Amino acid sequence: MTIKLLAIPLIAALPVFFSCGTNSEDQKNQLAEEPDSTVNMPDIALAAATDDNDVSYNLPSPLQIAYVFKKSGAGFISTLPNNKANTTKYNTSNYKKAVNFGIYSADLAYCLFNKKYQESKEYLKACKDIGSYLGLDKAFESENMAQRFDKNISNDDSLIKLVSSVQMKTDIMFEENKQKHIKVLAIAGAWTESLYIACEIYTKDKNKKIQASLLEQLLLSEPIIKALKSNKNTEVEVPALIASIEKINNEFNMIPAISSAVEKDEEIDSNTISITDNEMRLMIESIKALRAEMIK
Amino acid sequence: MKTIIIPILTLTFIFILMSFQTGNILCNAKEMKEKASALLDPYKYDSSEMTKILYKTKESVKEVEVPLFIGEKYRFVFEMEALPKHVEVQIYNKDKTSKNRKLLFSSKESASDKKEFQFDVTRVRTVYVDYIVPQAEAGAYTGCAVFMLGYRLK
Repeated sequence: MTIKLLAIPLIAALPVFFSCGTNSEDQKNQLAEEPDSTVNMPDIALAAATDDNDVSYNLPSPLQIAYVFKKSGAGFISTLPNNKANTTKYNTSNYKKAVNFGIYSADLAYCLFNKKYQESKEYLKACKDIGSYLGLDKAFESENMAQRFDKNISNDDSLIKLVSSVQMKTDIMFEENKQKHIKVLAIAGAWTESLYIACEIYTKDKNKKIQASLLEQLLLSEPIIKALKSNKNTEVEVPALIASIEKINNEFNMIPAISSAVEKDEEIDSNTISITDNEMRLMIESIKALRAEMIK
Repeated sequence: MKTIIIPILTLTFIFILMSFQTGNILCNAKEMKEKASALLDPYKYDSSEMTKILYKTKESVKEVEVPLFIGEKYRFVFEMEALPKHVEVQIYNKDKTSKNRKLLFSSKESASDKKEFQFDVTRVRTVYVDYIVPQAEAGAYTGCAVFMLGYRLK
C-alpha cells in the first residue's frame, strides 16, 4: 500500500525531471519547427530562446527618444498622435497589442515633453488600457497613479519621474511575465511612432535640426532589427515587421554620406549630412506605411 | 491520514532534489532592479536588462548591445548580487567580434568585491556591455546580472 502511495507522485513527477534535462538547443529547435507560435505558446520556451543568446539588446525607452527629439525644437501638433479611443481595436493579436502599446507610450512621451499635461494623462490611460491586455495591470495600478498625476500636473520633473517609474515597472513586468519579445515589439512600435511624428513635423517645416534628430532616430533601426531577429520565432507578424524596418534601414544606408561613413568606419554626424529631398521622401513614405500598418 | 501525508512528503522531497539539481540562484527582477535604481539618481530611468548567466566549462562572454544618443549623458548601473561566482563587467566601444575595440570601463578597476557599481558616459553612440563569465563545472551554476541605464535631463 505504502509503495503504491509513493509510486503515484513519483510517476507524476517524472515528466518534470525529463523537462529539466531539456537543453536550450532542443528548445530552440522546437521553436524553429513551430513558426506559428502565438498567444498560446508557452512563454517560458520563448524566454529561454532569448535568454540563451550570447548577445542581447537594450533599446532606448520612448521617453528618452521623445526627450532627444524635443531638444531639436520640434513643436506640438495635436493631430499627430494615434487616436486614444482606438485601444480596444488592438485587443487582437500579441503583435497588435505590443506595437500599439509602444505607439501610445511614444504619444504619451511626446505630449509630456511638450507640456501637454491633460493629453499626457489621457495617453497614460490609453497605455494602461492596452497594457492590461498584455498583463501589465500591476505596473499601472501600484501607486494611485491617476491621483499622483493630478497632484503633480504643473511639476514637469515630478511627472517625468512618475512616468519613468511606470516605465521601470513595465520593464519588470515584462521580465517577470517572460515577455521580453513583447518588450522588443513595443519598442519597435514606439520608435516607429516617434519617427512618424518627426517625419510629419519635418515635412511641414523642412527644419535642419529636426532632420538631424530624425536621422539620429533612424540609427536605431539596426539594433531594433537585431533585437527582432533574436525573437523572430515568437509572433507570426515579426518577419514582416523585420522586412519593413530593413527597407527603411536600406534606404537610410543608401544615402551617400551614410554609406561612405559606414564604409570608412567613421562616426556619422547627422547635423552635417547632406541629403536630397528625394532620399528623404523615400524614407518618409516607408515610415508612414509602417506606422499605418501598425495602427490599422 | 497516511494517504495524504506520504504523497506530500514525497513531493516535498522531489522539489528539494530539483532545487539542488541546477544550483540556481533566485533571480528576482523586481528586487534587483529596484536596488539598481537607487544608484541612478539624479539620472532618469531609461531601460534595464536582466541577463541570465550560465557558468560553462570554459570562460565565456555574454554581451549586451546598448545604442545611445550621441551627446547625451548616461549612467550605467550594475546589480550583481544574484551571481554565485564573480563576473567581471567590461564596457567597449565595439562588439566582441571586433579586433580594434577600446575598453571604456572594467569593474576590475572599481572593486572586485562590490556587488553594485556605476559608470557615467557621454559622446558615445553605441556601447557593448560584456559579462566575463569565469569557467565552472558545466551546468553547476547559474545566476543573473542586472544592468540599468539612466539619462540626464538638462
